[in-house]
Amino acid sequence: MPDKSSMLEPDISQDLVQEVMDRSGQNLLTCYQCRRCAAGCPVGDVTGVTPDRLIRMILFGEREDALRNLLVWECVACYTCGTRCPNNIQTARITETLKQMSKEAHMEPLTPKIGFFHDAFMTSASNAGRLNELEFMRLYETKSLQTELKERGVKGAMQEVKSQGKLGIAMMKKKRMHFGSEKVKGIAEVKALCKKAKSR
Amino acid sequence: MEIAYYPGCSLHASSQLYDIQNKLVFKKLNVDLREIEDWNCCGATSASKTNDFLSVALPARNLGIADATGLSEILIPCSSCYSRTLVSQRRLQEDTPLRDTINEELSHKVKGKIKVSSILEVLLPRVASGELSEKATRKLEGLKPACYYGCLLTRFPSDVVVPDDVENPQGMETVCKALGAEPIDWGYKTDCCGASAAVNDADVSLGLMAKILKDAVARGANCFVTTCPMCQFNVDAYQDQVAEKYGIRERLPVYFITELMGIAMGMSPQAMQVDRHFVDSMRLLKELKLI
Repeated sequence: MPDKSSMLEPDISQDLVQEVMDRSGQNLLTCYQCRRCAAGCPVGDVTGVTPDRLIRMILFGEREDALRNLLVWECVACYTCGTRCPNNIQTARITETLKQMSKEAHMEPLTPKIGFFHDAFMTSASNAGRLNELEFMRLYETKSLQTELKERGVKGAMQEVKSQGKLGIAMMKKKRMHFGSEKVKGIAEVKALCKKAKSR
Repeated sequence: MEIAYYPGCSLHASSQLYDIQNKLVFKKLNVDLREIEDWNCCGATSASKTNDFLSVALPARNLGIADATGLSEILIPCSSCYSRTLVSQRRLQEDTPLRDTINEELSHKVKGKIKVSSILEVLLPRVASGELSEKATRKLEGLKPACYYGCLLTRFPSDVVVPDDVENPQGMETVCKALGAEPIDWGYKTDCCGASAAVNDADVSLGLMAKILKDAVARGANCFVTTCPMCQFNVDAYQDQVAEKYGIRERLPVYFITELMGIAMGMSPQAMQVDRHFVDSMRLLKELKLI
Protein backbone atom coordinates (compact mmCIF):
# COMPACT_ATOMS: atom_id res chain seq x y z
CA MET A 1 0.00 0.00 0.00
CA PRO A 2 1.58 3.34 -0.93
CA ASP A 3 2.37 5.37 2.17
CA LYS A 4 0.39 8.50 2.87
CA SER A 5 3.24 10.90 2.24
CA SER A 6 3.37 9.93 -1.40
CA MET A 7 -0.28 10.74 -1.88
CA LEU A 8 -0.08 14.52 -1.77
CA GLU A 9 -3.32 16.02 -3.03
CA PRO A 10 -3.03 19.80 -3.17
CA ASP A 11 -6.77 20.34 -3.67
CA ILE A 12 -7.48 18.67 -0.36
CA SER A 13 -4.49 19.98 1.61
CA GLN A 14 -4.87 23.61 0.56
CA ASP A 15 -8.08 24.15 2.57
CA LEU A 16 -6.63 22.76 5.76
CA VAL A 17 -3.31 24.57 5.38
CA GLN A 18 -5.02 27.87 4.69
CA GLU A 19 -7.41 27.51 7.62
CA VAL A 20 -4.66 26.66 10.09
CA MET A 21 -2.38 29.40 8.77
CA ASP A 22 -5.11 32.04 8.94
CA ARG A 23 -6.27 31.16 12.42
CA SER A 24 -2.87 30.52 14.00
CA GLY A 25 -1.04 33.30 12.15
CA GLN A 26 1.83 30.89 11.45
CA ASN A 27 3.42 30.35 8.05
CA LEU A 28 3.65 26.56 7.93
CA LEU A 29 4.93 26.61 4.38
CA THR A 30 8.36 27.72 5.56
CA CYS A 31 8.95 24.53 7.57
CA TYR A 32 11.90 22.61 6.16
CA GLN A 33 11.82 19.81 8.73
CA CYS A 34 15.04 20.65 10.55
CA ARG A 35 13.51 19.21 13.76
CA ARG A 36 14.97 21.68 16.21
CA CYS A 37 11.42 21.85 17.53
CA ALA A 38 11.25 18.11 18.03
CA ALA A 39 14.46 18.09 20.05
CA GLY A 40 13.11 20.58 22.57
CA CYS A 41 9.50 19.46 22.87
CA PRO A 42 8.88 18.38 26.48
CA VAL A 43 6.01 16.08 25.51
CA GLY A 44 7.45 14.82 22.21
CA ASP A 45 8.47 11.36 23.37
CA VAL A 46 5.16 10.85 25.16
CA THR A 47 2.94 11.90 22.27
CA GLY A 48 4.97 10.35 19.47
CA VAL A 49 3.97 13.38 17.40
CA THR A 50 6.49 16.19 17.47
CA PRO A 51 5.82 19.69 16.11
CA ASP A 52 7.52 18.93 12.79
CA ARG A 53 5.30 15.89 12.24
CA LEU A 54 2.20 17.84 13.09
CA ILE A 55 3.12 20.49 10.54
CA ARG A 56 3.77 17.77 7.99
CA MET A 57 0.33 16.27 8.60
CA ILE A 58 -1.29 19.63 7.99
CA LEU A 59 0.75 20.26 4.85
CA PHE A 60 -0.45 16.93 3.47
CA GLY A 61 -4.04 17.81 4.24
CA GLU A 62 -4.49 14.98 6.73
CA ARG A 63 -7.27 16.75 8.59
CA GLU A 64 -8.39 13.79 10.70
CA ASP A 65 -4.85 13.00 11.86
CA ALA A 66 -3.96 16.64 12.41
CA LEU A 67 -6.99 17.24 14.63
CA ARG A 68 -6.87 13.93 16.42
CA ASN A 69 -3.42 13.24 17.77
CA LEU A 70 -1.88 13.42 21.22
CA LEU A 71 0.22 16.52 20.56
CA VAL A 72 -2.82 18.71 19.90
CA TRP A 73 -3.98 18.30 23.50
CA GLU A 74 -0.81 17.44 25.39
CA CYS A 75 1.11 20.40 24.02
CA VAL A 76 1.63 22.55 27.11
CA ALA A 77 2.42 25.70 25.08
CA CYS A 78 5.90 26.09 26.54
CA TYR A 79 6.88 27.88 23.30
CA THR A 80 10.23 26.06 23.11
CA CYS A 81 9.57 24.94 19.52
CA GLY A 82 8.70 28.41 18.30
CA THR A 83 11.64 30.02 20.06
CA ARG A 84 14.10 27.66 18.39
CA CYS A 85 12.50 27.43 14.95
CA PRO A 86 14.74 29.10 12.38
CA ASN A 87 11.60 30.21 10.55
CA ASN A 88 9.84 31.41 13.68
CA ILE A 89 6.92 29.00 13.36
CA GLN A 90 5.14 28.99 16.71
CA THR A 91 3.75 25.47 16.76
CA ALA A 92 2.14 26.06 20.14
CA ARG A 93 -0.08 28.57 18.34
CA ILE A 94 -0.90 25.80 15.88
CA THR A 95 -1.85 23.33 18.62
CA GLU A 96 -3.94 26.04 20.30
CA THR A 97 -5.73 26.53 16.97
CA LEU A 98 -6.18 22.79 16.44
CA LYS A 99 -7.63 22.39 19.96
CA GLN A 100 -10.27 24.95 18.99
CA MET A 101 -10.86 23.45 15.55
CA SER A 102 -11.24 19.94 16.93
CA LYS A 103 -13.77 21.20 19.45
CA GLU A 104 -15.71 22.95 16.71
CA ALA A 105 -15.71 19.67 14.79
CA HIS A 106 -17.14 18.00 17.93
CA MET A 107 -14.19 15.64 18.17
CA GLU A 108 -13.61 14.01 21.52
CA PRO A 109 -10.06 14.86 22.65
CA LEU A 110 -7.77 11.89 23.08
CA THR A 111 -7.06 13.27 26.54
CA PRO A 112 -10.48 14.56 27.69
CA LYS A 113 -9.25 15.78 31.09
CA ILE A 114 -7.14 18.46 29.45
CA GLY A 115 -10.18 19.82 27.63
CA PHE A 116 -12.25 19.82 30.84
CA PHE A 117 -9.53 21.69 32.69
CA HIS A 118 -9.42 24.64 30.31
CA ASP A 119 -13.20 24.77 29.93
CA ALA A 120 -13.64 24.75 33.71
CA PHE A 121 -11.04 27.51 34.06
CA MET A 122 -12.80 29.72 31.53
CA THR A 123 -16.24 29.07 33.03
CA SER A 124 -15.10 30.04 36.49
CA ALA A 125 -13.05 33.03 35.33
CA SER A 126 -15.93 34.45 33.32
CA ASN A 127 -18.53 33.84 36.05
CA ALA A 128 -17.28 36.50 38.43
CA GLY A 129 -14.44 37.92 36.36
CA ARG A 130 -11.73 36.37 38.53
CA LEU A 131 -10.90 32.72 38.89
CA ASN A 132 -12.43 31.04 41.91
CA GLU A 133 -10.02 28.18 42.55
CA LEU A 134 -12.46 25.98 44.47
CA GLU A 135 -15.25 26.48 41.95
CA PHE A 136 -12.85 25.80 39.11
CA MET A 137 -11.57 22.57 40.67
CA ARG A 138 -15.11 21.45 41.43
CA LEU A 139 -16.16 22.00 37.81
CA TYR A 140 -13.05 20.19 36.61
CA GLU A 141 -13.31 17.23 38.97
CA THR A 142 -16.99 16.68 38.19
CA LYS A 143 -16.01 15.97 34.60
CA SER A 144 -12.64 14.39 35.31
CA LEU A 145 -14.05 11.80 37.70
CA GLN A 146 -16.59 10.75 35.09
CA THR A 147 -13.73 10.12 32.68
CA GLU A 148 -11.79 8.19 35.30
CA LEU A 149 -14.83 6.02 36.01
CA LYS A 150 -15.29 5.35 32.31
CA GLU A 151 -11.64 4.66 31.52
CA ARG A 152 -10.29 3.18 34.74
CA GLY A 153 -13.37 2.19 36.72
CA VAL A 154 -13.98 2.86 40.40
CA LYS A 155 -10.29 2.24 41.19
CA GLY A 156 -9.23 5.05 38.85
CA ALA A 157 -11.81 7.42 40.23
CA MET A 158 -10.83 6.68 43.83
CA GLN A 159 -7.17 7.29 42.96
CA GLU A 160 -8.10 10.71 41.65
CA VAL A 161 -10.20 11.50 44.72
CA LYS A 162 -7.34 10.37 46.95
CA SER A 163 -4.59 12.35 45.24
CA GLN A 164 -6.66 15.52 44.93
CA GLY A 165 -7.88 15.14 48.48
CA LYS A 166 -4.31 14.78 49.69
CA LEU A 167 -3.30 17.92 47.83
CA GLY A 168 -6.31 19.78 49.21
CA ILE A 169 -5.45 18.85 52.79
CA ALA A 170 -1.81 19.84 52.28
CA MET A 171 -2.97 23.16 50.87
CA MET A 172 -5.14 23.77 53.89
CA LYS A 173 -2.31 22.88 56.28
CA LYS A 174 0.10 25.20 54.49
CA LYS A 175 -2.41 28.04 54.20
CA ARG A 176 -2.44 27.92 50.41
CA MET A 177 -6.11 27.00 50.13
CA HIS A 178 -8.23 30.00 49.35
CA PHE A 179 -11.87 29.85 50.36
CA GLY A 180 -12.99 33.32 49.34
CA SER A 181 -14.25 34.53 46.00
CA GLU A 182 -13.89 37.89 44.32
CA LYS A 183 -16.30 39.55 41.96
CA VAL A 184 -15.38 42.09 39.33
CA LYS A 185 -17.68 45.12 39.43
CA GLY A 186 -17.32 45.64 35.70
CA ILE A 187 -18.40 42.05 35.06
CA ALA A 188 -20.80 43.27 32.39
CA GLU A 189 -17.81 44.23 30.26
CA VAL A 190 -16.25 40.80 30.72
CA LYS A 191 -19.52 39.12 29.79
CA ALA A 192 -19.89 41.39 26.76
CA LEU A 193 -16.46 40.30 25.58
CA CYS A 194 -17.39 36.64 26.11
CA LYS A 195 -20.57 37.18 24.10
CA LYS A 196 -18.62 38.84 21.31
CA ALA A 197 -16.16 35.94 21.33
CA LYS A 198 -18.98 33.45 20.75
CA SER A 199 -20.36 35.35 17.76
CA ARG A 200 -17.04 35.50 15.90
CA MET B 1 7.88 56.18 43.05
CA GLU B 2 4.58 54.63 42.04
CA ILE B 3 3.96 51.91 39.50
CA ALA B 4 0.80 50.11 38.56
CA TYR B 5 0.41 46.54 39.76
CA TYR B 6 -1.57 43.58 38.47
CA PRO B 7 -1.51 40.63 40.87
CA GLY B 8 -3.69 38.23 38.88
CA CYS B 9 -5.93 35.50 40.28
CA SER B 10 -3.32 33.24 41.88
CA LEU B 11 -1.76 36.08 43.89
CA HIS B 12 -5.20 36.62 45.41
CA ALA B 13 -5.67 32.92 46.11
CA SER B 14 -3.19 30.04 46.40
CA SER B 15 -0.14 32.30 46.05
CA GLN B 16 -1.37 35.11 48.23
CA LEU B 17 1.96 35.03 50.08
CA TYR B 18 3.64 36.29 46.90
CA ASP B 19 1.27 39.28 46.76
CA ILE B 20 2.10 40.15 50.38
CA GLN B 21 5.83 39.73 49.74
CA ASN B 22 5.74 41.91 46.63
CA LYS B 23 4.03 44.78 48.42
CA LEU B 24 6.37 44.70 51.43
CA VAL B 25 9.58 44.23 49.50
CA PHE B 26 8.91 46.92 46.92
CA LYS B 27 7.91 49.32 49.66
CA LYS B 28 11.37 48.80 51.14
CA LEU B 29 12.77 49.74 47.72
CA ASN B 30 10.65 52.91 47.72
CA VAL B 31 8.30 51.62 45.07
CA ASP B 32 4.60 51.93 45.81
CA LEU B 33 2.63 49.26 44.01
CA ARG B 34 -0.76 50.62 43.02
CA GLU B 35 -3.05 47.69 42.31
CA ILE B 36 -5.19 48.58 39.30
CA GLU B 37 -8.87 48.96 40.02
CA ASP B 38 -11.34 46.14 39.36
CA TRP B 39 -8.98 44.01 37.25
CA ASN B 40 -10.20 40.74 35.72
CA CYS B 41 -8.64 37.37 35.08
CA CYS B 42 -6.24 37.51 32.12
CA GLY B 43 -7.33 34.07 30.90
CA ALA B 44 -3.86 32.61 31.47
CA THR B 45 -3.08 29.59 29.30
CA SER B 46 -6.70 28.46 29.17
CA ALA B 47 -7.99 31.39 27.12
CA SER B 48 -5.49 30.87 24.31
CA LYS B 49 -6.35 27.18 24.22
CA THR B 50 -10.09 27.78 23.98
CA ASN B 51 -10.74 31.12 22.30
CA ASP B 52 -8.28 33.36 20.47
CA PHE B 53 -10.46 36.47 20.79
CA LEU B 54 -10.80 36.17 24.57
CA SER B 55 -7.09 35.48 24.95
CA VAL B 56 -6.51 39.02 23.67
CA ALA B 57 -9.70 40.62 25.00
CA LEU B 58 -9.43 39.62 28.67
CA PRO B 59 -5.97 41.14 29.19
CA ALA B 60 -7.11 44.08 27.04
CA ARG B 61 -9.62 45.17 29.67
CA ASN B 62 -6.81 45.27 32.22
CA LEU B 63 -4.60 47.21 29.83
CA GLY B 64 -7.38 49.77 29.42
CA ILE B 65 -7.66 50.15 33.19
CA ALA B 66 -3.86 50.38 33.48
CA ASP B 67 -3.59 52.98 30.70
CA ALA B 68 -6.22 55.06 32.49
CA THR B 69 -4.06 55.34 35.64
CA GLY B 70 -1.60 57.51 33.74
CA LEU B 71 1.26 55.57 35.26
CA SER B 72 4.13 54.64 32.96
CA GLU B 73 4.72 51.05 34.03
CA ILE B 74 2.75 48.07 35.29
CA LEU B 75 4.35 45.26 37.26
CA ILE B 76 2.91 41.79 36.66
CA PRO B 77 4.70 39.22 38.87
CA CYS B 78 2.96 36.10 37.52
CA SER B 79 4.76 34.89 34.38
CA SER B 80 1.57 33.70 32.74
CA CYS B 81 -0.35 36.93 33.36
CA TYR B 82 2.72 38.90 32.27
CA SER B 83 3.10 36.87 29.09
CA ARG B 84 -0.58 37.06 28.16
CA THR B 85 -0.81 40.79 28.86
CA LEU B 86 2.36 41.60 26.92
CA VAL B 87 1.29 39.48 23.95
CA SER B 88 -2.21 40.99 24.03
CA GLN B 89 -0.76 44.50 24.02
CA ARG B 90 1.35 43.58 21.01
CA ARG B 91 -1.62 42.07 19.14
CA LEU B 92 -3.71 45.15 19.85
CA GLN B 93 -0.94 47.33 18.44
CA GLU B 94 -0.70 45.25 15.27
CA ASP B 95 -4.41 44.71 14.67
CA THR B 96 -6.40 47.95 14.80
CA PRO B 97 -9.79 46.41 13.88
CA LEU B 98 -9.33 43.89 16.72
CA ARG B 99 -8.43 46.66 19.14
CA ASP B 100 -11.43 48.73 18.07
CA THR B 101 -13.89 45.88 18.43
CA ILE B 102 -12.59 45.11 21.91
CA ASN B 103 -12.54 48.78 22.93
CA GLU B 104 -16.24 49.01 21.99
CA GLU B 105 -17.07 46.95 25.09
CA LEU B 106 -14.71 48.74 27.48
CA SER B 107 -15.29 51.87 29.53
CA HIS B 108 -11.51 52.21 29.88
CA LYS B 109 -10.23 51.98 26.31
CA VAL B 110 -6.86 50.45 25.52
CA LYS B 111 -4.40 53.07 24.35
CA GLY B 112 -1.34 50.83 24.47
CA LYS B 113 0.87 53.33 26.29
CA ILE B 114 1.81 51.59 29.53
CA LYS B 115 4.98 49.49 29.75
CA VAL B 116 4.21 45.92 30.83
CA SER B 117 7.02 44.69 33.08
CA SER B 118 8.00 41.41 34.64
CA ILE B 119 9.29 41.44 38.21
CA LEU B 120 12.89 41.05 37.06
CA GLU B 121 12.59 44.06 34.77
CA VAL B 122 11.54 46.19 37.73
CA LEU B 123 14.22 44.73 40.03
CA LEU B 124 17.28 44.78 37.81
CA PRO B 125 17.73 48.57 37.63
CA ARG B 126 17.70 48.55 41.43
CA VAL B 127 20.44 45.93 41.41
CA ALA B 128 22.51 47.86 38.89
CA SER B 129 22.28 51.03 40.98
CA GLY B 130 23.55 49.17 44.03
CA GLU B 131 20.35 49.91 45.97
CA LEU B 132 19.37 46.28 46.51
CA SER B 133 22.86 45.27 47.65
CA GLU B 134 22.94 48.20 50.05
CA LYS B 135 19.57 47.34 51.57
CA ALA B 136 20.34 43.61 51.73
CA THR B 137 22.07 43.90 55.07
CA ARG B 138 21.71 40.22 55.88
CA LYS B 139 23.65 38.51 53.11
CA LEU B 140 22.29 35.08 52.17
CA GLU B 141 25.59 33.25 52.44
CA GLY B 142 25.43 29.52 51.93
CA LEU B 143 22.20 29.73 49.97
CA LYS B 144 22.76 27.99 46.64
CA PRO B 145 19.61 28.51 44.62
CA ALA B 146 18.78 26.93 41.30
CA CYS B 147 17.08 29.89 39.62
CA TYR B 148 14.00 28.49 37.91
CA TYR B 149 12.52 30.70 35.22
CA GLY B 150 10.02 28.30 33.71
CA CYS B 151 8.62 28.83 30.23
CA LEU B 152 6.86 32.10 30.08
CA LEU B 153 9.41 34.64 31.24
CA THR B 154 11.63 34.23 28.20
CA ARG B 155 9.54 32.51 25.52
CA PHE B 156 6.58 34.09 23.75
CA PRO B 157 4.30 33.13 20.86
CA SER B 158 4.88 36.42 19.11
CA ASP B 159 7.60 38.98 18.51
CA VAL B 160 8.07 40.85 21.73
CA VAL B 161 11.27 42.28 23.15
CA VAL B 162 12.74 39.75 25.58
CA PRO B 163 14.97 41.55 28.06
CA ASP B 164 17.12 38.54 28.94
CA ASP B 165 18.87 35.67 27.22
CA VAL B 166 16.21 33.28 26.01
CA GLU B 167 18.08 30.01 26.60
CA ASN B 168 20.27 31.04 29.54
CA PRO B 169 18.68 34.00 31.33
CA GLN B 170 20.62 35.64 34.15
CA GLY B 171 18.15 38.08 35.69
CA MET B 172 17.34 36.04 38.78
CA GLU B 173 20.98 35.08 39.29
CA THR B 174 21.89 38.79 39.22
CA VAL B 175 19.34 39.53 41.92
CA CYS B 176 20.47 36.54 44.00
CA LYS B 177 24.11 37.60 43.83
CA ALA B 178 23.16 41.08 45.02
CA LEU B 179 21.59 39.38 48.03
CA GLY B 180 24.83 37.51 48.72
CA ALA B 181 23.49 34.12 47.63
CA GLU B 182 25.46 31.75 45.41
CA PRO B 183 23.19 30.73 42.51
CA ILE B 184 24.32 27.58 40.72
CA ASP B 185 24.69 27.07 37.02
CA TRP B 186 22.32 24.41 35.74
CA GLY B 187 20.66 23.06 32.63
CA TYR B 188 16.93 23.16 33.33
CA LYS B 189 16.34 26.77 34.24
CA THR B 190 13.82 27.39 31.47
CA ASP B 191 12.45 23.87 31.18
CA CYS B 192 8.73 23.28 31.44
CA CYS B 193 7.32 21.74 34.61
CA GLY B 194 4.10 20.89 32.79
CA ALA B 195 2.11 23.70 34.42
CA SER B 196 -1.59 22.72 34.29
CA ALA B 197 -0.54 19.21 33.27
CA ALA B 198 0.26 18.62 36.95
CA VAL B 199 -3.52 18.37 37.36
CA ASN B 200 -4.80 17.27 33.94
CA ASP B 201 -1.90 15.11 32.65
CA ALA B 202 -0.10 14.13 35.82
CA ASP B 203 2.29 11.42 34.59
CA VAL B 204 3.75 13.72 31.95
CA SER B 205 4.12 16.60 34.37
CA LEU B 206 5.74 14.56 37.14
CA GLY B 207 8.30 13.33 34.59
CA LEU B 208 9.15 16.88 33.61
CA MET B 209 9.43 18.00 37.22
CA ALA B 210 11.68 15.03 37.97
CA LYS B 211 14.20 16.19 35.35
CA ILE B 212 14.22 19.66 36.88
CA LEU B 213 14.66 18.37 40.42
CA LYS B 214 17.34 15.84 39.48
CA ASP B 215 19.49 18.38 37.68
CA ALA B 216 19.24 20.95 40.46
CA VAL B 217 20.23 18.33 43.03
CA ALA B 218 23.08 17.01 40.89
CA ARG B 219 24.50 20.53 40.47
CA GLY B 220 24.60 21.16 44.20
CA ALA B 221 21.61 23.46 44.67
CA ASN B 222 20.11 23.56 48.14
CA CYS B 223 16.94 25.34 47.05
CA PHE B 224 14.98 26.69 44.11
CA VAL B 225 14.05 30.30 43.58
CA THR B 226 11.39 31.41 41.16
CA THR B 227 9.27 34.40 40.16
CA CYS B 228 6.17 32.61 38.92
CA PRO B 229 3.34 31.34 41.16
CA MET B 230 2.60 28.42 38.83
CA CYS B 231 6.23 27.26 38.77
CA GLN B 232 6.48 27.76 42.52
CA PHE B 233 3.31 25.84 43.28
CA ASN B 234 4.15 22.89 41.04
CA VAL B 235 7.76 22.37 42.07
CA ASP B 236 6.76 22.85 45.73
CA ALA B 237 3.43 21.03 46.09
CA TYR B 238 4.32 18.04 43.93
CA GLN B 239 7.93 17.62 45.03
CA ASP B 240 7.22 14.80 47.48
CA GLN B 241 5.24 12.93 44.83
CA VAL B 242 7.95 13.46 42.21
CA ALA B 243 10.74 12.49 44.57
CA GLU B 244 8.98 9.31 45.70
CA LYS B 245 8.11 8.24 42.18
CA TYR B 246 11.59 8.89 40.81
CA GLY B 247 13.66 7.87 43.82
CA ILE B 248 15.07 11.28 44.74
CA ARG B 249 16.10 11.59 48.36
CA GLU B 250 16.69 15.31 48.56
CA ARG B 251 14.06 17.99 49.05
CA LEU B 252 14.73 21.51 47.89
CA PRO B 253 12.63 24.36 49.31
CA VAL B 254 11.11 26.53 46.60
CA TYR B 255 11.33 30.23 47.41
CA PHE B 256 9.83 33.20 45.66
CA ILE B 257 12.49 35.77 44.78
CA THR B 258 10.65 38.26 46.97
CA GLU B 259 10.93 36.23 50.15
CA LEU B 260 14.69 35.91 49.71
CA MET B 261 14.84 39.64 49.15
CA GLY B 262 12.73 40.25 52.22
CA ILE B 263 14.88 38.06 54.45
CA ALA B 264 18.04 39.66 53.10
CA MET B 265 16.61 43.11 53.81
CA GLY B 266 16.01 42.14 57.41
CA MET B 267 12.32 41.22 57.34
CA SER B 268 11.13 38.34 59.44
CA PRO B 269 10.20 34.97 57.98
CA GLN B 270 6.76 35.52 59.53
CA ALA B 271 6.28 38.74 57.61
CA MET B 272 7.45 36.95 54.48
CA GLN B 273 5.12 34.02 55.24
CA VAL B 274 7.91 31.49 54.66
CA ASP B 275 5.85 28.84 56.50
CA ARG B 276 3.33 28.71 53.64
CA HIS B 277 5.33 26.21 51.63
CA PHE B 278 4.86 22.48 51.14
CA VAL B 279 8.55 21.58 51.27
CA ASP B 280 9.92 22.84 54.60
CA SER B 281 11.37 26.22 53.74
CA MET B 282 12.35 27.37 57.20
CA ARG B 283 14.87 24.63 57.94
CA LEU B 284 17.48 25.64 55.36
CA LEU B 285 17.33 29.29 56.46
CA LYS B 286 17.78 28.20 60.09
CA GLU B 287 20.68 25.87 59.19
CA LEU B 288 22.44 28.68 57.37
CA LYS B 289 21.77 30.95 60.37
CA LEU B 290 19.91 33.39 58.14
CA ILE B 291 16.93 33.48 60.48
